[in-house]
Amino acid sequence: MAILDILHFPDPRLRNKAKPVAEVDDSIRRLIDDMLETMYEAPGIGLAATQVNVAKRLVVIDLSEDKNEPLCLINPEILEKDGIEQMEEGCLSVPGIYEKVTRANHIRLRALDREGRPFEMEAEDLLAVCIQHELDHLEGKLFVDYLSSLKRQRIRKKLEKENRQQTETATGAHQVI
Amino acid sequence: MSRQNPDPRVAAARIVNGVFSGRSLSDLIPQHLSGIDDVRNRSLAQELSYGSLRYYPRLHALIGRLLQKPLKAKDGDIEALLLIGAYQLLYLRVADHAAVNETAGAAKKLGKRWAVGLINGVLRRLQREQEQLLAGLESDQEARHAMPGWLLGELQARWPDNWEQRVSALNERPPMTLRVNRLLTTREAYLKLLDAEGIQAKANTTVPMGVDLERPVDVELLPGFAAGMVSVQDGAAQLAAGLLSLSPGQHVLDACAAPGGKTSHLLETEPGIQLTAMDVDEARLLRVTENLNRLKLQADLQQGDAAEPKGAWSEQDYDRILLDVPCSATGVIRRHPDIKYLRRESDIVALADLQQRILEAIWPLLKPGGLMLYATCSILEKENEAQLRPFLSQHTDAQEKPIEAEWGEARAVGRQIPPGEAGLDGFYYALVEKSVV
Repeated sequence: MAILDILHFPDPRLRNKAKPVAEVDDSIRRLIDDMLETMYEAPGIGLAATQVNVAKRLVVIDLSEDKNEPLCLINPEILEKDGIEQMEEGCLSVPGIYEKVTRANHIRLRALDREGRPFEMEAEDLLAVCIQHELDHLEGKLFVDYLSSLKRQRIRKKLEKENRQQTETATGAHQVI
Repeated sequence: MSRQNPDPRVAAARIVNGVFSGRSLSDLIPQHLSGIDDVRNRSLAQELSYGSLRYYPRLHALIGRLLQKPLKAKDGDIEALLLIGAYQLLYLRVADHAAVNETAGAAKKLGKRWAVGLINGVLRRLQREQEQLLAGLESDQEARHAMPGWLLGELQARWPDNWEQRVSALNERPPMTLRVNRLLTTREAYLKLLDAEGIQAKANTTVPMGVDLERPVDVELLPGFAAGMVSVQDGAAQLAAGLLSLSPGQHVLDACAAPGGKTSHLLETEPGIQLTAMDVDEARLLRVTENLNRLKLQADLQQGDAAEPKGAWSEQDYDRILLDVPCSATGVIRRHPDIKYLRRESDIVALADLQQRILEAIWPLLKPGGLMLYATCSILEKENEAQLRPFLSQHTDAQEKPIEAEWGEARAVGRQIPPGEAGLDGFYYALVEKSVV
């Protein structure tokens, strides 16, 4: 297993649209394991393949405190949405930013599991929000897209500055070694 | 989606709920606060966690009266939010409407939307009927004194005349006390450094290297902390090293060393000793290493069980032994208010048994003419003089060396520092000498 690099907003690769997984094989299962490890280490409760620069329709989720209830959705499709939920969201690709987003609070969906078997499920509250958030990633959409353009601009500036500083520190460290 | 929500009330609810499942605050705080970037939110989360546990017996009783039916076991996080909300209403200067709304809103962030209305309702009623509710708790001793009943009984028995004063000392916020490293500087010089940083402090009146801060600060802000100029340690704990009459060349054993506060103080007091620092817990020994490294001190670190000495450290005779045994920590509840929830009366018997086994097992390692200091941060007779009295009568080669001091109260054996006396933690010390046959 390996920890993968998570892309940070405003990286243009976060805008890629993911393609369906053609076959759920060992390489996909390896990707799932790596994504789970990356998500747990972050720490996060959901991660889409897009965020680790893999353009495949695949997300992993685990809301449990003990990291022992992983949920893996391959080629997920939302069948129904209802209710309204406003919740503060944060994203591993937009670190340190938390903003309220309005979404459906109840959904029904269909997906394949890690063995490639189709299943249907219902979700509400935090799980419903998390699934919608991750499925947005597969369309190249981020939660900051729901905010006003002024707010989004401010977040972009803040993160660009942080990314720059991180690069500088990393280069500095390299020179010392 | 990211997990760490920087909402301080969500973090505090997770921390308090962690205590409900048996973990300690000192374990949970770093884990849950590391994800909160904002300093004010971090200190609010800490304040809410400590405060709601400090007043747990009272807040729990209040909430119990306001809930129609008890919460389910899996909803410990919601109970935690209710405690946190009640703590804000009763003890913090947070605007009441913010305390209620933000606390109820936190339930949603924990994924428990159903609890928002419940928390709102309970906290609003508490806000409205606060006085009647508190008056209704007058006859409930645990709630009134915010102390578990068994411990209240112990305090009343130990200090029949002024137990209420002891109880309120244990409910206070603890001072932050430093120990200046005499190998690197003097207390006077360090007080000047603090003054230059705008950190208000004064010399502790009980111990020679102690400095009391006016209000707690992050250790990173203390001048020379990383360079080992100073450590954080209560004044009562700073008494240990001075009691052992250390001199160069002595072999000294610190038998329950972690996290290494007293260990490093032994070396600061007399750098010429040969110190073996031992602890049963490998992970906690790392803390001793960190402390010693920061202070640039050296000791022989050993993992081992003080109750069952074996290996090289146990085959040697020692001139001095510090036996800072595992205890109920009832003297330091103001620093670890989670003890009110975690510690049960039944734990005391097991602890006393362990202490007795350690005493018996370590005693043979002391040289004739040597000194052993038995120490606890407990206020319970069972862990203190009641432990030493039978030990002294069963070992003809052991005599108490009475501690003459300004601090504390002489007990049948040893001295008890009552919690809060001269601003100190509750501690117990007894000095035992081995006779030369």
